[in-house]
Amino acid sequence: MSGSLAASDLSVRYETPHGAVHALRHVDIEAHPGEVIGIVGESGCGKSTLVTALANLLPANARIEGSICYNGVDLAKLDADRQRLLRGDEIALVSQDPMTAFNPVLTIGDQLVDFQHHRKDLGRAQKRSRIAAMLDRVGIADAERRMDCYPHELSGGMRQRVAIAAALLTDPGLLIADEPTTALDVTMEAQIIHLLRELRREYNGIIIVVSHHLGVIAELCDRVYVMYAGEVVEGGEVDAIFHDARHPYTQALLACDPARFHERLERLPTIPGTPPNLTLPPSGCVYAPRCDRAFAPCVSVAPPLVKLSTSHVARCHAVTP
Amino acid sequence: MTPLLAVEDLSVTFARNGLLSRLINPFPLPSFNVIDGVTLSLMPGETLGLVGESGSGKTTLARTILGLVRAAAGRIVFEGREVRTPADFRAMRRRSAMMFQDPVASLSPRLRIGTLLTEPRIIQGVPMPDRRAAARALLALVGLPASFVDRFPHELSGGQARRVGVARALAMKPHLLLADEPTAGLDVSVQGDVLNLIGELQRELGFAAMIVTHNLAMIRHVSDRLAIMYLGRLVETGPTRDVFAAPMHPYTATLIQSEPVPDPRRRSRNPAVTGEIPSVFRRPSGCEFHTRCPIARDRCKTEAPACRPMGADRMVRCHFPLETGGQEREAFSRASANQRGN
Ligand SMILES: Nc1ncnc2c1ncn2[C@@H]1O[C@H](COP(=O)(O)OP(=O)(O)OP(=O)(O)O)[C@@H](O)[C@H]1O
Ligand SMILES: Nc1ncnc2c1ncn2[C@@H]1O[C@H](COP(=O)(O)OP(=O)(O)OP(=O)(O)O)[C@@H](O)[C@H]1O
Ligand code: SF4
Ligand code: SF4
Ligand SMILES: [Mg+2]
Ligand SMILES: [Mg+2]
Repeated sequence: MSGSLAASDLSVRYETPHGAVHALRHVDIEAHPGEVIGIVGESGCGKSTLVTALANLLPANARIEGSICYNGVDLAKLDADRQRLLRGDEIALVSQDPMTAFNPVLTIGDQLVDFQHHRKDLGRAQKRSRIAAMLDRVGIADAERRMDCYPHELSGGMRQRVAIAAALLTDPGLLIADEPTTALDVTMEAQIIHLLRELRREYNGIIIVVSHHLGVIAELCDRVYVMYAGEVVEGGEVDAIFHDARHPYTQALLACDPARFHERLERLPTIPGTPPNLTLPPSGCVYAPRCDRAFAPCVSVAPPLVKLSTSHVARCHAVTP
Repeated sequence: MTPLLAVEDLSVTFARNGLLSRLINPFPLPSFNVIDGVTLSLMPGETLGLVGESGSGKTTLARTILGLVRAAAGRIVFEGREVRTPADFRAMRRRSAMMFQDPVASLSPRLRIGTLLTEPRIIQGVPMPDRRAAARALLALVGLPASFVDRFPHELSGGQARRVGVARALAMKPHLLLADEPTAGLDVSVQGDVLNLIGELQRELGFAAMIVTHNLAMIRHVSDRLAIMYLGRLVETGPTRDVFAAPMHPYTATLIQSEPVPDPRRRSRNPAVTGEIPSVFRRPSGCEFHTRCPIARDRCKTEAPACRPMGADRMVRCHFPLETGGQEREAFSRASANQRGN
């Protein structure tokens, strides 16, 4: 079973003793079967918050508003048990910090067997052979022996690949990977990208990839959402984002990528300034304090989401269709 | 000039099985070398980039240099003196800073950011009349708001935790900085901020840095020299600019070629190399890259290549290095021609 995903007007805030952190504000995203969606943006802009909300794994101090529909069902309207069931079987999240995904006192083989608890039709031996095959696909050699390792006996990148294998073992309709390749060398990164591309072809599910690596996004994704300070500021086909970016933040982000420069730079390019404080989000455009194109209305009036083509949108006063 | 740090022929061995299986199994299994014969040096003020396969032993090497993992063989010389005893390592660690790969897990979850930032200096005995002010100054240095002094590590995003790690390391005014993936998980702008910051402080304080990373696009801008590691051995070293301009080891060349390009119109059709990364449990015979090397020949399967000096400041461990204009380089380009479409 796989269907479309749509989050509408989704907001998340974290309650803290020093006030609420408005980490996500009025976000709309959608994804269809067979698509790979990329999410990029400044550190701390709410990417992990968004994908953890989609996977129903937000921490206890989070408050969520808006709706998330998967396969035509509004997840908020289901009772807790059915929610958990659906999300456990259908939605898999590979989290950003692979160490936290594992129990330190169990071998990874035992944990990967547990990940397949929904497959009542398979015996333990069959589950172990599925694990061996999956570890092999994510480039872990000597899979049989690695299954007897404890998480701390693996390198950072191996843990990341085991986490990807764990997610794939549940045959999810929606696979969300938060920074899936940060701990991998580029040859392994390329292999994982090709694995995800193949999977997309094979199973017609949805893949959502969060990454700071613009090269990975360009290689892998069909559509991209660009986030800044808790909002989606631009969205569109991958080609439009990389070749016809219209939002000043997207343009600045692409211009900072060191992969664009081959001669050694004395200083790496950056976007001057810092993102706004999310306890008190600004009333106008969130990017205004750093934007070199800001003009009068930007500071006081929140910009609308401008439709530039059927699939390309940008939230900015200065863009016109 | 004497190097700030010299590592000579360093090897690290891990027991093959954990404690539990050793208790159950009375016959000890052979142990394996995770780091094998690594030699490298670092001049004062220099930045060395350490790049390599996941699981090749980069983190272990950094931890061994600081004495957090015991070496089985080899020498470590710091500021002209051999580091041997636990007391030597403690003295060295006081002059060094380590940024760990796992930013959130390396910060104690129960301590607030303000405490985490100032604690190392308090332990060193540096007087600090106003800890909160000192912490706020450090936060400002790495571009985080002052209000973060009261937050706990789990209340930060991945990138924010990493910036706290930078602030903590640089607060120590180190002579040597070992940074394990210092910018993984940061967006390109913040990554630039962090590296510019390290660079500025390095010019000001003159410390040497070893940066462990997978990010080639970044390391080519910030390192003076590169060391490439595969399965616990260095396979190529040299000035960064030369290595990027003309990689000599097929693994290095493959790395540079596999880098994803930020342009959807130039997608790669095939990964430049496939095949699994061999495991240190079972090192391939001969050259350990032969299972994935596009130009491997029979000799590679049986005979391990030795380190070969190539000019003054360049080393490569390969029977058939890719020399400019040489037939190996041509063979390599032919073998990997079909990789990227455009
Ligand atoms: N449990 C929490 N309590 C309070 N604030 C939080 C919590 N988790 C995250 N935040 C804050 O919410 C904001 C969004 O965090 P999130 O982890 O979603 O960012 P991100 O885009 O994934 O960043 P990165 O790229 O650095 O991983 C950040 O400002 C962060 O400090
Ligand atoms: N405590 C340990 N006990 C047994 N084996 C270990 C231990 N720590 C690491 N290893 C093994 O040593 C090898 C090198 O690990 P290390 O963490 O140094 O790799 P790395 O190069 O830093 O990888 P990555 O890029 O993925 O972080 C791996 O095969 C790992 O499984
Ligand atoms: S709305 Fe104004 S401040 Fe915001 S991005 Fe557009 S031009 Fe810049
Ligand atoms: S020694 Fe042979 S297998 Fe090893 S890298 Fe060189 S050519 Fe390839
Ligand atoms: Mg995140
Ligand atoms: Mg490591």
